[in-house]
Amino acid sequence: MTTTEAPRALPPTSPTRVTATRRRRWASRRNRRDYLVFLAFAAPNLLLIALFTYRPLFSNIYYSTLNWTLGAPVATPVGLGNYVEFFTSPRTQGVLVTTAVFTVATVGGSMVLGLLVALALNKRVQGVGFARASVFSPFVLSGVGVGLVWLFIFDPVVGVLGYLLRLVGASSPQWFNDPTLSLVMVIIVFIWKNLGYAAVIYLAGLQSIDRDLLEAASIDGANARRTFFSIVLPLLSPTTFFLLVTSILNSLQAFDILRIMNPLGRGTTTLIYEAYLQAFGGSNRAGYSATVSTVLFGLLVLLTVFQLVVLERRVHYR
Amino acid sequence: MPDRIPNALTLAALDRRRFLGLAGALGTAAALAACGGPSTSGGGGAEAPTDETDWSTITPAKEITFWSSNPGSSQAVTQQLIDAFHAAQSDIKVTLVTAGANYEEIAQKFQAAQAGGDLPDVIVFSDVWWFRYKMLDSIIPLDGLVEAVGIEKDDYREGLWADYTYDDAQWAIPWARSTPLFYWNKAHWAAAGLPDRAPETWAEFTEWAPRLQAAGLGTQRAFQHPALAGYAGWSFQNVLWGWGGGWSAQESFDITCNSPESVAAIQFLQDSVYKDAWAGVASSDSVNDLTAGAASATIASTGSLVGILKAATFEVGAGPLPGGPEETSPVCPTGGAGVGIPKDIAPENQLAAATFVKFLTSPENTVTFSQATGYMPVRKSADTAAIVAAAPQVQVALDQLEVTRTQDYARVFLPGADQEMAKTCANILTSQADVQAELDALKTTLETIYTRDVEPNL
Repeated sequence: MTTTEAPRALPPTSPTRVTATRRRRWASRRNRRDYLVFLAFAAPNLLLIALFTYRPLFSNIYYSTLNWTLGAPVATPVGLGNYVEFFTSPRTQGVLVTTAVFTVATVGGSMVLGLLVALALNKRVQGVGFARASVFSPFVLSGVGVGLVWLFIFDPVVGVLGYLLRLVGASSPQWFNDPTLSLVMVIIVFIWKNLGYAAVIYLAGLQSIDRDLLEAASIDGANARRTFFSIVLPLLSPTTFFLLVTSILNSLQAFDILRIMNPLGRGTTTLIYEAYLQAFGGSNRAGYSATVSTVLFGLLVLLTVFQLVVLERRVHYR
Repeated sequence: MPDRIPNALTLAALDRRRFLGLAGALGTAAALAACGGPSTSGGGGAEAPTDETDWSTITPAKEITFWSSNPGSSQAVTQQLIDAFHAAQSDIKVTLVTAGANYEEIAQKFQAAQAGGDLPDVIVFSDVWWFRYKMLDSIIPLDGLVEAVGIEKDDYREGLWADYTYDDAQWAIPWARSTPLFYWNKAHWAAAGLPDRAPETWAEFTEWAPRLQAAGLGTQRAFQHPALAGYAGWSFQNVLWGWGGGWSAQESFDITCNSPESVAAIQFLQDSVYKDAWAGVASSDSVNDLTAGAASATIASTGSLVGILKAATFEVGAGPLPGGPEETSPVCPTGGAGVGIPKDIAPENQLAAATFVKFLTSPENTVTFSQATGYMPVRKSADTAAIVAAAPQVQVALDQLEVTRTQDYARVFLPGADQEMAKTCANILTSQADVQAELDALKTTLETIYTRDVEPNL
């Protein structure tokens, strides 16, 4: 509980009191003006965010309590029935496992490979600018385009990969027909697309490390391995933390590549793809799909809070 | 600067003003959330035209939109037909909208438009989609409009017309209609010493397949099953019927996909891949595998005919589907798409839409469309001589049309059943799952869909 000290009483005509009153009025007018300026700049954005982010969010939560077939004008309220079905359905376990495998593999893969690529790109050698642009370019490509190109590469019959394998006497794996391989396939493509993002962020982190520290380590006799694990990696922890948060959110929301490369979702149905399949995959269960989306939203919030509260403590800021 | 930033969500900070503000925000959010979307109090939507609608008192709209997924790469020929419609009359202008790359995508867009508005006036929908639109009350029965604009329903091929008849009402007009065909590489057939025809039965092809495999043709397998992610439920109707089974009993919702006959049929398919190993399963499109020379034969839609003939560097054979041990005819399902008219648009637009549909499916225009795509001419009076002259393989499709069978209710009337069938077939044909167990599980799924999504709406 907080207490405030009562202001000392002054005579009404005291010059000090008049000055204080004028100052308060001036401050009040300035506060009001600042508030109006704030409103003028922030209100349009707040309105747009309310309309296009929070309204759909709350609508989705509302729809998740309905038994609603997409396109039908009428729906039946079912309370938490869709949630009960989701958490008791045997299908859900597979979806959650696929989501976990996909997320861990793509986040881990893109971050580890991104760091290795960043270390390579941190050298001052000829052509490094071109190499950096090449590594980053897949990230700015459309996921649909990337999916279509890799579809051709992986096709066991007419694809480039199958052709190369046949040249050395091997046969192409059934990337599209084997659910496990389908998951591996989309993980490879997703990592390839997002590798450049992690690499560029790590590169920026590497270039911000104070050279004096590295030189000091060298003078102290630390070898490259020791320098990397004891100095470089801890100093990259803010970068790693940032990438972890953004990459997890990105992976949990991955859709385009999954949709293009494996439309039936056999072996590659993550939470977000399950939401799509339920609404648009045939049965058009928009209410149940909204339930899956709401669960995904809750999961994203929990993960983000966990990362901010728990993992950030292990981050070393200089 | 304060040492400690006050936390707006702590109890101490939640004074009356903030509490009221928060409550107001949540209330507004809840109110916003409840705006739009479906009604939970029954009713909704506009009044559909009834049999008593007097169309003669309605003036057709001047402009309408036609949503198509351009089946069989038909965008150019559809625009050509629209241009011809504009040349033939000046009252109605039609705008072609590509509303998806396939039947599923156009269906998604149409269903989203049901909630968000901006509906088309004419829409293409496949055999597995129209019934759910009928159940959702999204489309109108066309009988009154057929009468009003003078569509000669007796001139449409009976089987194709009947595919869209339910409850004594007509829900679509046949347009891009197809059947599956057996396609083969004639050079491979000759190299293996096989007669220049399609196999009459699957038993016969089982004898031929080893000869194709042994002929050193450079193929990966003699036969390529169509990609399962597409339309496995449709492609495998032939084998199911041939073995005396089916996804469901004829013209019934009685699910029979796990009957001994159905299990034997699907077991045959699994054996073709694993035990006998003369067949593969396409990853994306079996037509590409055939034209690339990776397989000697496949089954694909008549809608693929023109594409196959263009892409193949060898002579392509096309024949009727093989029969099975129990049935040799009819074992061929119809398929493809029709055109329909949404309910929640103005009667003027519905009338204009029906006028356009009449033109689109006229005997001359169905021939033009068939020549460009390979889809079936839907009118009995259509002069098919020119189509057959350009591609003699079309005659097979026309002959086969006489012995087609309406697809099983379980595939075309149960929402999402097609996807479930595809997944089951994928488990069986690409993961060697137990046939009986998979089909038992499929039956449970299909019955759940019927009980949950169909029975209450019948």
